[in-house]
Amino acid sequence: MNRKLIFFLVSIAYLILISYGLYSVYTVEATLRVKEPPKIKPENKIAIARTEIFGKLERPQVIFNHGKHEEAYKTEGCTACHPEKDGQVIFDFPMNLKKRDKTSVMNAYHDACIECHKKSAKKEKTGPVNCGDCHKEQERDLIVKHPKAEFDFYVHDKHVKKLKEKLGKDDCGLCHHSYDIEEEDEALRLVYEPGTEESCYYCHDLEKKRGPELKAIQNAAAQKGLSMRRASHQQCLNCHLKYQDEYLKKGDKEAVPTDCSKCHTGKYKTVAELEKVPRPDRDQKDKPFINIENSKMKGVTFDHKTHETYSRTCRSCHHETLNACNTCHSLTGKPEGNGINIAAAYHHAFSEHSCAGCHNKKKEDKKCAGCHHLIPAMDLETMNPKKETCAICHTGKKDQLPMPKPLSTAGLNQQKVKKEVEIKILEKEFEPSKFPHMDIINELVKISNDSKMATYFHRNLQTLCEGCHHRSAAEAEAQKDTPPNCKNCHMTAYDRQNLNKTTLLSAYHRQCLGCHEKMELEKGRKCTECHKAKPGDSQKIITMRNEKVVKQNTSIIINEWRPE
Amino acid sequence: MAGEKLETVEIVKEKGESPNIKNLGDFWNFLKKELVPRGHIATPFNIISLPIMLLGYVFIVLRLAYGLGKPVTNLNQEYPWGLWIGFDVVTGVAFAGGAYVLCFIVYVLRAEKYHPIIRATVLNGFLAYLFYAGAIVLDIGRWWNIYNPMIGNNFGVNAVMFLVAWHFFLYMLAALVEFSPTIAEWLGMKRLRKILGAMTLGAVIFGITLSTLHQSGLGALMMMAKSKIHPLWYTDFIPILYFVSSIFAGLSLVIFEGSISHKVFGHQLDEAHHKHYDDILVGLARICAVTMFGYLFLKAILLVHEHAVPYLNSAMGFWYLFEVIGFILIPCLMFISGAQQKNTATIKFAAILTMVGIILNRLNYTFIVYNWYVPLSEKYWPAPMELIITASIILTEVWVFRWMVNRMPVLRKPPAWAIEKH
Amino acid sequence: MDRRNFLKILGSGVAGAATGNLLTPGRTLAKETPSAKEFYGILVDTTRCIGCRRCELGCAEVNGLPVPDISESKNENLLKTIRKTSDTQYTIINRYETEKGKIFVPKRCMHCNQPGCVAACLVKAMRKRPSGQVTWDLNCIGCRLCMISCPFDIPKFEYNKAIPRIQKCNLCYDRYNNGVLPACVEVCPTQALMFGSRKQILEEGKRRIAANPDKYIEHIYGEYEVGGTSHLYLSSVPFEQIGFRKDLGTVAYPKYSTGFLYAVPFIFVLWPIVMLGINRATKKSKEDEEHHEEKEKH
Repeated sequence: MNRKLIFFLVSIAYLILISYGLYSVYTVEATLRVKEPPKIKPENKIAIARTEIFGKLERPQVIFNHGKHEEAYKTEGCTACHPEKDGQVIFDFPMNLKKRDKTSVMNAYHDACIECHKKSAKKEKTGPVNCGDCHKEQERDLIVKHPKAEFDFYVHDKHVKKLKEKLGKDDCGLCHHSYDIEEEDEALRLVYEPGTEESCYYCHDLEKKRGPELKAIQNAAAQKGLSMRRASHQQCLNCHLKYQDEYLKKGDKEAVPTDCSKCHTGKYKTVAELEKVPRPDRDQKDKPFINIENSKMKGVTFDHKTHETYSRTCRSCHHETLNACNTCHSLTGKPEGNGINIAAAYHHAFSEHSCAGCHNKKKEDKKCAGCHHLIPAMDLETMNPKKETCAICHTGKKDQLPMPKPLSTAGLNQQKVKKEVEIKILEKEFEPSKFPHMDIINELVKISNDSKMATYFHRNLQTLCEGCHHRSAAEAEAQKDTPPNCKNCHMTAYDRQNLNKTTLLSAYHRQCLGCHEKMELEKGRKCTECHKAKPGDSQKIITMRNEKVVKQNTSIIINEWRPE
Repeated sequence: MAGEKLETVEIVKEKGESPNIKNLGDFWNFLKKELVPRGHIATPFNIISLPIMLLGYVFIVLRLAYGLGKPVTNLNQEYPWGLWIGFDVVTGVAFAGGAYVLCFIVYVLRAEKYHPIIRATVLNGFLAYLFYAGAIVLDIGRWWNIYNPMIGNNFGVNAVMFLVAWHFFLYMLAALVEFSPTIAEWLGMKRLRKILGAMTLGAVIFGITLSTLHQSGLGALMMMAKSKIHPLWYTDFIPILYFVSSIFAGLSLVIFEGSISHKVFGHQLDEAHHKHYDDILVGLARICAVTMFGYLFLKAILLVHEHAVPYLNSAMGFWYLFEVIGFILIPCLMFISGAQQKNTATIKFAAILTMVGIILNRLNYTFIVYNWYVPLSEKYWPAPMELIITASIILTEVWVFRWMVNRMPVLRKPPAWAIEKH
Repeated sequence: MDRRNFLKILGSGVAGAATGNLLTPGRTLAKETPSAKEFYGILVDTTRCIGCRRCELGCAEVNGLPVPDISESKNENLLKTIRKTSDTQYTIINRYETEKGKIFVPKRCMHCNQPGCVAACLVKAMRKRPSGQVTWDLNCIGCRLCMISCPFDIPKFEYNKAIPRIQKCNLCYDRYNNGVLPACVEVCPTQALMFGSRKQILEEGKRRIAANPDKYIEHIYGEYEVGGTSHLYLSSVPFEQIGFRKDLGTVAYPKYSTGFLYAVPFIFVLWPIVMLGINRATKKSKEDEEHHEEKEKH
């Protein structure tokens, strides 16, 4: 009897397990979806994980509220937790870290935090001392990431002006310095020489691979632990701390911030917003005449002043060195410039630092991309580029050419340039599509005239025609003044010799839709906008296309393919 | 059960009398006499099973008229194989594996201890193939082409399915030959009995070879579903797993089925047999335990070999571990303890657990962990009609089995003239 | 079917191709007969597809399937869900929202070089034609193992018919034999589909990638997947984002079952010998047997 009871209970247990198992297996798909780790606004919090030392964490990371601690240590100041050296606060924590292995780092943190909490617990309400109160399980996967702070032209300008006001003169050396590695005396190595200012990233970006010369300086920075992050905190915050009290007394809380979120805003100014902001003055010429010795091409007058307003940082063209291009790039290439010669430095089609690269980038703008996505980028590889195109920049004159007149359709021959074109390729299925030829020309002219760059480079109306009437031979066109029709090259049927050749149907669709898509136009994306259905049986599209091709009925034919 | 008892009274009376069949007319008369039901008709089993069977037959007609899909089955494009293949065919064949294992033990290894149950087991195996594997006719969509692999015009000789189909067919023949002496005894055909008896060993060896191949072949069918079966279950060794598991699956069914027929047909057996029977069960339990241990070992190796260990910590991992521990390890231990204490109750319970485990295992491959990643709305579960048709097929098999056991010398001693030859 | 009829079809295909009266698919075909040793396939450029579903319409027309409604309003709703090919649709278009915007992906049978479905078929109803098409024939018994063995879930079964068929794209095999392009290729308004020999389309795919390195990702789906397929796909985003499986491996699917098939003859020969041997070895001498029987009688 007893045994029977056991068997019965076991069976019940099995039944439950089977139903549970089946349920979980049948609903497993739902659990397959990846959960994104939660993100919180960083505010003034810091996630302490130190995975570079600990690897996989035993306990959850600690979300440390820095703001709260700042508040609590108002009187003591930063040095309550951070070490001080030569009158400068070093933003390290914990203070006395001797060794960088797992146990010592862990102990250092625990000592620093818990000791302090214990000590102050006698006097006032203070932080936790139990493990789980700092290492909170619910915060294990939390991501606290401060967005990069950007010291843009606006902030730079503000600093320059404020400091001049305070000190009575320009002193760029307060922030900008260079490192003289030849100098024997360690203390004298940091020097400042006006006109040699560079980006901080040049030496302090420890992750970037540099040439042998710079590598030594980079190593020196690395030895001191002055990564971009630590160097900028040390540089900025020490200065801010120095002037903060002064402003606080005046009641100006915002002027010299030390809160994380004040610099790490996550908001970045656009080129347009920065347009009016004056650029740093480093004795650069307004319109340098770029003329490379022994080069085959004529010199280029470059409007540096105007181009300054087109970018958000100096780095975007100059790398981090802020040197003139020919310092590192020569006709044959130099090791400093990674062997890239000057022609490539200016014309590389995809580089962010070259003229052509940046211009190509601009052509990806939705207004330009409609035509330009099909026009191959001009670079060194372009064989036999049109002379007129090159001549737009390579004038050989020290003065830049004046801005050309805006394009106009006024002189167009109304007979030759049709107002509207009817496309009848699918006329068996649909009413003819109406293509507003003239409207499109007008719109393109408007777009071109609206942009300074386009106005400068689109020298005549023909240039715009080539956006659609591509691959036309300019010389041939010039004689007849008619760009080629689509039909002249694209055939209505598949090319038997080359199935890949674009058929007329496909040429229309890809040209029209491609342009509309690239220009992100709302109009002209739906079938019905161009194709009005024709009454009748429009579903037999194959039979309609080619009456000769017998309509196949697979079921019959398959029946007939009995085994060979 | 009372009905069965009454029935046997008659049989005992008839025992020893062999019909004298000289021509076809005699045979017809004899068959007519035998087809007449004996004993009580209104037994609880009959009352429950008959409506289910009839309903099942109606649904079978429905399936033939309206096709395979809803409402008859829940099969869809994601799950081409459902209960009929997964349970009737694949599991049914695994359960029928007892026949070839016992034949191997009795005829090849000559372990005479197991001789008393061989006939029932072979009959069971044969009927399982005939009915469960026969259920494939219902499941295949274009059933009127079923002869194509045999006498068709296009042999896909490189297909695993081709092999399985032929082996099914040949094995049914072999099993029929193995069982045929019993039929000959029933009909009282002495000469035929002698010829068939001589053919037994050949049929047995042929049958075992075929079984080895198609038991594993059923596993090999799933080899090309590599991307669809969960990595915990998919290994390059599915055929071997199928073969090994068919051994203990078949023996478990022998234990389970034997214990039922012992209750139902117990009166057909003599005292000696009853005394022996526990001993037989213990022996079978030992074989089960050993093969299950081997299977477990293989599973463990494959788990590591296929780099599937990381999957264990998931819902699928639970299902896998539950299958391996709950239905292999635990029954294996129960078989061992049952065999040691000569406790048949434990052995029988373990056999039932093993059988449930095998059903789950085979269904896993056909639809539970097959396409495991599809959303719940596209998942397959058996439709009511599918279940009823399956039940009706099983019940029909049981009816045929009962009819044959009651009329042929399956459990009881063969007629005296046949024993001498043995 | 008789041989003559088949030859007629074949002949007309050859004739059509040779005379060039009909639209012939490509130079190679024009020179060679339909029994060419080269596989033909389609290069699908997903960056060109505009999701108009005309291929679905053309396919349905040619294959006698229910004609889909491809009107604009219908498309918008329909494309919200990711569809699969079905027993009434050989080809379908899906829309995926990706980092590069909406991408339309036509899906149909991949026509593997070594198809799992063909290897699985026990009556050779599924066949890989010498010219690359994977077709289905009426001697099928409906076991549906092809559906299980297909890594792309392509063969579909007509569950709700008393006389069901397996339905799948056959790359317009009949049209191919007549020297005509597959229906979907013919009606595609943007040439997102390019028909050609596998070599041609592979070359063309590689050329497009090389010419537009920032437009395409450097991978042709189907070049190596499951041992290579006759349908090749180009994409601008990683293929898993547009509903392709990346875990299928590069091993041809039939290879997975060859291990078992190799073992069969060995077992078939060795196993009976071993068993017969054991049987002989365990045979007891006459005296033993008598002794045993006596024992049994007791």
